[in-house]
Amino acid sequence: MKVGDVFSYAFGAIRLRKLRAGLTTLGVVIGIAAIVALLSISQGLQVTITDQLKSGFATDTLIVSPGSGGGIFSGVGGGVGGSGSDFSLVVTDTQIINEIEDVVTSAAVIQEACYVQSGDRTVKLNVVGVDFDIYSEIYGSTFVAESGEIVPNPDNGTVVVGKRISDPWENGTIFCNVDDVVEIVWTNTTVRPPENKTYAVTVAAVLEEIGGLSLTGPSDFAVYIPISQAQSLFGTDECDRIVVKIANEDDATIKAVSEAIEENDAFSGQVSVRSSTAVLNTISSVFSTIELFLAGIAAISLLVAGVGIMNIMIVSLMERTREIGILKALGMKSRTVLTIFISEAVIIGLLGATFGIGLGWVLANVAATIFTGGGFAVATGQGAVSGAFAITPVLTPTLLMGAFGFGIAVSVIFAIYPAWRASKLKPVEALRYE
Amino acid sequence: MVLATPIVETADLKKTYILGKVPVNALRGVNLKVEKGDFLAILGPSGSGKSTLLNMIGALDKPTEGKVFIDGVDVSTLNDNQLADLRRSIGFVFQFFNLIPRLNAIGNVELPMAVSGLGKNERRKHAEELLETVGLKERMKHKPAELSGGERQRVAIARALANNPRFLLMDEPTGNIDSKTAKEIMGLVKRLNEDEGVTIIMITHDQQLASQATRIVKMLDGSIIKEIGQL
Repeated sequence: MKVGDVFSYAFGAIRLRKLRAGLTTLGVVIGIAAIVALLSISQGLQVTITDQLKSGFATDTLIVSPGSGGGIFSGVGGGVGGSGSDFSLVVTDTQIINEIEDVVTSAAVIQEACYVQSGDRTVKLNVVGVDFDIYSEIYGSTFVAESGEIVPNPDNGTVVVGKRISDPWENGTIFCNVDDVVEIVWTNTTVRPPENKTYAVTVAAVLEEIGGLSLTGPSDFAVYIPISQAQSLFGTDECDRIVVKIANEDDATIKAVSEAIEENDAFSGQVSVRSSTAVLNTISSVFSTIELFLAGIAAISLLVAGVGIMNIMIVSLMERTREIGILKALGMKSRTVLTIFISEAVIIGLLGATFGIGLGWVLANVAATIFTGGGFAVATGQGAVSGAFAITPVLTPTLLMGAFGFGIAVSVIFAIYPAWRASKLKPVEALRYE
Repeated sequence: MVLATPIVETADLKKTYILGKVPVNALRGVNLKVEKGDFLAILGPSGSGKSTLLNMIGALDKPTEGKVFIDGVDVSTLNDNQLADLRRSIGFVFQFFNLIPRLNAIGNVELPMAVSGLGKNERRKHAEELLETVGLKERMKHKPAELSGGERQRVAIARALANNPRFLLMDEPTGNIDSKTAKEIMGLVKRLNEDEGVTIIMITHDQQLASQATRIVKMLDGSIIKEIGQL
């Protein structure tokens, strides 16, 4: 029997039982839609987050932070995770690092969460102490003034603020601007009772908008003060991290410098070094795991659909036993009977996958719109300072073909047993079947 | 003189079914020869083993002992695929028509040709001719449910003739239709045998129907008890 005739016969059998075939197909549609929706959203989210991270990224930098285990997001709030120890990095450690081969320069970063008051408004945000001169050198493209001027070695009492500190609501309502005087209030919790230290400063410059989350570099949401001022204000020489600019951004240099710092006697193996690229890779691998997990959940629904197909086909097989007997009496080969049943599954899988991909794509876009429009936002710091971002679902060719193939594969795999049983029916018994 | 090979020959054919735990001897050593051009009626009451014999001849079932030869070929030596090929060269007509309900008359007649891998145009043309032969040219697009019993059996006969079979196997072809239509059907069958030279093996329990054939063998309890010679 010709392939076209087999398919047309199989299609005729499906058409005869429209409702049943429709419901069976619906199972596949739901399974595939779940896979497509979940994965295209998570891939979209990954793209969005990666893009956000990349803005303001300097790929030729390394981040040195205390603790041997190290956390993933070591640029934020002094690092998440990492093994606790008494070891601390101090501001002058940059001198040790600067002597390592391939290190261009390094900047110590002291960071504390403070209240910043301007007029009658107060927001809580990160106050970052850095050497403006070196920091400008490391982040030449992002630590740039939009208005005002970043003076290399400013007088005490001047600060540089991120774009979103100046204009947090993006509507022209300015929180502070160049030449405004703001008050930084830091609560020292290491003494009992905690005491507030207030520091009045003048805004010398507002940074250009960087965008993104800026995990490892300058941020739209921070206030920058000279490192010396940070040391005296926070009463410490300990820094949260040291940003290192290296001569080359190739893997070999990154690896060599990282090892040289980690194994330096002065740090006695108590620091961890992370490259910006490594942070991206880590995020990418986290997303891979999440996607695998989501795909697993969605795949379960497709397996349920597969069991549905098998169930329906076995029922159909019983109903059509006599028909199979007739076909065999007319000289149809067992493998043609098998092909007819498999073809029915292929048609169901094909329809299910096609509609499933369409439905999944629609659902992903609806969900993305709800997330974005409904204020899916990442809050950085407390108060009004937040950055909302849009997710655009991504349907890669791999996902498209994968979903398509998986839909058909599941349909066919679950049809193999009923089809095999149909093909093995003995003609005389099948004809006698009532 | 060289004798032509019989189109069908059975040699000491035996078939034993196990019903529950009791063995039932449906065929107890049947020897039968059918020559090309024969119109053979196998006459016997219900349970005489005539349907079992038909299934063996039609390669639908395998004997417990003995052999079936179709055109001199021992059926027991054929594998599953070869058996399917053999069945394509046999035209089956069943008591309950056994048409595919969702296919219309012409679709049913085309089906064996599609199974044989014939092209769409070719089989459509041949199916139309066959339906014309059985007098159903006007009812080609009707589904079995829209046809009378007699018309359904005509479709079944047209279908049986589709692949130019070596012989027709008819299982009580008029058993499920009224006597007037039965007469018409028998007229058609006789005409096929006499005019077209189609070899026909028909089983029936109806003496009168059997008398239309050129040869009659009588069966009882799984054996041929009498052959009412060449008419």
